[in-house]
Amino acid sequence: MTKIYGEGENKVKALDNATLSVEQGEIVLIVGSSGSGKSTLLNMIGLLDRPTKGKIFIDGVDTTTLDDDKISSFRNKKLGFIFQFSNLLTDLTVLENVLLPRQIGGTNDTAEKDAKDLLKAVGLGDQMYKRANKISGGQAQRAAIARGLINKPSIVLADEPTGNLDSVTSETIVQLMKSMAKKLNQTFVIVTHDRQHFGDVDKVITIKDGKAFEGDMPPEMEVVA
Amino acid sequence: MEYRLRLAKRMLFNKKGSLIGAVLAVTIGILVIHVNFVIFQGLFDAIVRDISDYRNGDILVTDEADYIDKSDLSIVSWFERIPYVEAATPRLSSTAEMNMTKNGKLIEETRIPIVGIDPFRDVRASTVHETVSEGSYVFSRNSIVLGSNVARDLGGAQVGDSVKVLVVDRWGEDQIRRFTVSGIAQSPGGQGFDYTAVIHIDTLRDMMNRQGDTGSFMVKLNDPTKAFEVKEFFLRSFPNDDFLAETIEESAEEQLAGFRSGIAMINMIGYFGMMSSAFAIVTIQMMLVNGKTREIGVMRSIGAKRKDILIIFIFQGMIIGAIGAGVGTAAGLGYTFYAKETKMSFNNSLPLEVTYNWEKIIQTALTSFVLAIIASLYPSYRATKLLPVEAMRTV
Repeated sequence: MTKIYGEGENKVKALDNATLSVEQGEIVLIVGSSGSGKSTLLNMIGLLDRPTKGKIFIDGVDTTTLDDDKISSFRNKKLGFIFQFSNLLTDLTVLENVLLPRQIGGTNDTAEKDAKDLLKAVGLGDQMYKRANKISGGQAQRAAIARGLINKPSIVLADEPTGNLDSVTSETIVQLMKSMAKKLNQTFVIVTHDRQHFGDVDKVITIKDGKAFEGDMPPEMEVVA
Repeated sequence: MEYRLRLAKRMLFNKKGSLIGAVLAVTIGILVIHVNFVIFQGLFDAIVRDISDYRNGDILVTDEADYIDKSDLSIVSWFERIPYVEAATPRLSSTAEMNMTKNGKLIEETRIPIVGIDPFRDVRASTVHETVSEGSYVFSRNSIVLGSNVARDLGGAQVGDSVKVLVVDRWGEDQIRRFTVSGIAQSPGGQGFDYTAVIHIDTLRDMMNRQGDTGSFMVKLNDPTKAFEVKEFFLRSFPNDDFLAETIEESAEEQLAGFRSGIAMINMIGYFGMMSSAFAIVTIQMMLVNGKTREIGVMRSIGAKRKDILIIFIFQGMIIGAIGAGVGTAAGLGYTFYAKETKMSFNNSLPLEVTYNWEKIIQTALTSFVLAIIASLYPSYRATKLLPVEAMRTV
């Protein structure tokens, strides 16, 4: 896919014919220097933005042909999001935040039980009734992982999930995502600067000048990251 | 609870300043309408009440072209047989010249309205006798009650003074009688007989040379809502007479028409006030939307449709409208209760006729509720226009 921002002389090619494929259950890291196009790629996969050219298939569906409402439904059912700053809604409790994607999707039958099970699985069984702004950054990121998983999505997209955490907490979050991926056969696509924190993963995609390359980025790129 | 309503409520209640501001805007809008209603509708109703109590009754019967020549007894008896009728009384009107000597000085006044009443029947059908602040009401054929302004113009006439009254009779002859002032009438608000003199109806008939004639019959009902029914029944019962029977709304139409348009204007000002409160809601909700950009982005990214975002913010408008309408109506009712209990008066004279007009109260509350929802439409629409990827950048 290609993504161009601006027009005429201000035209910027954020993604340049980048191609990648992700299999069910894989953990895929997207790495690259700042401004390389990592987050743009994630926004495209997450259907938060549309490519200027190219197509994105998720579970065999060409998502570039969907209208706004269908994209919203698709995001709700097939994609989970984990952001750098957990982005929990501070007006809700931890449990309500985790429940929200299920409620938006309108499938509430086992929602509360599933949400509670997930919160217990990420170690927040005793925090679920607290307001989202009353828990620590690490706990919020765990809750965000639970929220990303509640609808059993095809892909969980994580944008710098450890970027705002100290190294100990980052390690915990990485291990949590890895264990959830293994336990639930869940696909994770993770944009990160902390390549070393993730250790062995199924695939690494390096983005350079908007182009995608499979494999780790060379050490000289890590320095500028 | 529906998650959109819960979110709308939480977002709003966690921004207490905005909530209070928006609710206050609606409350003030409603309160302005209630205060306007209590004062101006109260004043209007007070004037209608006084015209009815002092002059026209609930039904006023006159003759289309001339004086009524049927006997008082026959008309009054006819009316008083009807269960809805409290009492009926005849009245006769003319104008007079008066003079009296006060402190050795002769004071003359011309063109003073003079009303002839039946002292026994009038006290049942009218409350004019209650406006007599000094002395007593007309009790004999040579007693006169002067309105306070007439008494003042006659150099400060007092109870017991002697007044000479001149009336021109039906043949153009001057008829002069001497009366003793039995009372001075003064009504709060001046709708009574403050500018009028009152004498016995038979004396006035004699002076006008109109024995057996009556100018009008004032009919007081115990249930004023039956006025139209009684009037129609009366007219049907006397098909061959030229009677003109009017309810208070009809007989006082000329006096009240100007007032009515004044009230309509005041009400319009009230509704403009309500519109202003709607603009305040638009502003406050725009602030709420701008303050929740990140949350909107998060919700959109986890699958909320534009419609869901729209509903959340419209729910906020509904919450603001519901609370504002409730608080505003309670405050308005509180003010109405206060005005009623303290017998609030206009300009410290005319006691307002304060009523709870439930239709108007509900209409005002519903209007402000609907306006709050309409006011929330634009901010809600703006919220739906936020692109998730843009909204997420505000982190």
